[in-house]
Amino acid sequence: MVRIHFMGLVLAAALASSPSTLAQTAQHSGPAKARAASGKPDFSGVWFITEYRRNLLPKEDPPFQPWAEAVLKKRDLENNQADPDTGPDPTERCIPPGVPRIMLQPFPWEIVHARDRVVMIFEYQSQVRQVFTDGRRHPKDLDPTYMGHSIGRYEGNTLVVDTIGLNDKTWLDPMGLPHSDALHVVERVRRTDHDTLEVNYTIDDAKAYTKTWTAQKIFKLKPDWQIKEYVCSENNEVR
Amino acid sequence: MKNERVIVFTLAIIVVLVSRPVFAHHSGSAFDLEHPVTLKGTVADFVWSNPHVFISLDAKDDKGNVEQWRVEGNSPNMLARAGWKKEMIKAGDLLSVTGAPAKNGRKILRLVSVMLANGQEFDGQGFK
Repeated sequence: MVRIHFMGLVLAAALASSPSTLAQTAQHSGPAKARAASGKPDFSGVWFITEYRRNLLPKEDPPFQPWAEAVLKKRDLENNQADPDTGPDPTERCIPPGVPRIMLQPFPWEIVHARDRVVMIFEYQSQVRQVFTDGRRHPKDLDPTYMGHSIGRYEGNTLVVDTIGLNDKTWLDPMGLPHSDALHVVERVRRTDHDTLEVNYTIDDAKAYTKTWTAQKIFKLKPDWQIKEYVCSENNEVR
Repeated sequence: MKNERVIVFTLAIIVVLVSRPVFAHHSGSAFDLEHPVTLKGTVADFVWSNPHVFISLDAKDDKGNVEQWRVEGNSPNMLARAGWKKEMIKAGDLLSVTGAPAKNGRKILRLVSVMLANGQEFDGQGFK
C-alpha cells in the first residue's frame, strides 16, 4: 500500500508539473515558464537510449579488481550455458536493475522536475527514482537499496547527481559488470541540443575497481511517447 | 490441426549475414546475437504479455522434422511503439521470423524481425 501511495504521489507530481504533451508544447506551459525563470535547465520529457549496448563500456574493459573480473567471467560462462530467461541476470527474475543500469535498459524513462527533487519515472519495471535537489545531504548509515540515495545540484546547464547507498545485488550493465556496496555513482546530465540528453557516468567503487572510470550514454527526446505500465512478473509462468 | 500444420509448414534456416557490433570482451548474452537465423513456420500460440511477447512457432528442421521454437520479442509496450497490434498474430498464421538463437542449443529465438504472411515486416525489439 505504501508503494501504491508513493506512486500516486509521483504521478500526481508528474501531472502537476509536466503535461503529457511534453517538451514541444511544454515550453509554452506554466510550469515550463516557471522552470525557465528559475534559470535551471529543463530536462522534462520522455527519453530513450539511442543505441542499446549490453555493456556500459563498449570498447574497453574497466580497471577490474581481480575478483570483479572473475565474477564477470563466471557470469558470462553461465549466460552461455543457461536457457535464456533463466540465466544469472537478476533482472530475469524481475529484480530491479539498480543504478546506473536502470537508465541503460531499452525502455523509455521520463524526467519530471518537482520543487525539491528531480523525479525519474522508468517504464522498465515501473521503477521510480528521486534525486533531491533541495540541498540536503546523504543520510548517514544508509540501509543499501536498489536505487540508492541520490542528491543533485546544478552546475550551469548540467545536473550533477551523486548516488550512494546502493546494495550489491545488481549488475552495473546487462553484460554483468559487478559492483560492491561501496559503489558511488556520479552522473552529469545535460542537454547537448533540444532533443539530446547526454549523461556522463563516473563509477567509483574501490572494492571492485582499481580506480574510478567513466562512461557516456546518449538519450533522445520522444515527444510522442508516454510512459506505460510494465509488470515484469506478469508472465513468469511462460519462462 | 497438428497434422495440418505438419503438412503446411515450410522451413528455411538461413544464416543471415548481418554485420554486428563487436563487443569489447564477452558477449554476455544467452543468445547468439552474431549469428541470426531465419525460420519459417506456423504459429502454434501467441502470448502478448510482459516481460516478453512469445510466439510458439512450429518449423521443420533440415530433416523435415517439426520442431517448436519459442520466439521472444520485446515487451508489448515497445512492440506497440514499433507498430505491432496484439491481434496481429494468431495461431495458424504462417510467419517468417529472424532472430538470435540460444547459445545452449535450445529452440529459443530472440526476435529481430518478423514478416507476416501478407509481407508486412515489423521490428522484433523496437529499438536499435
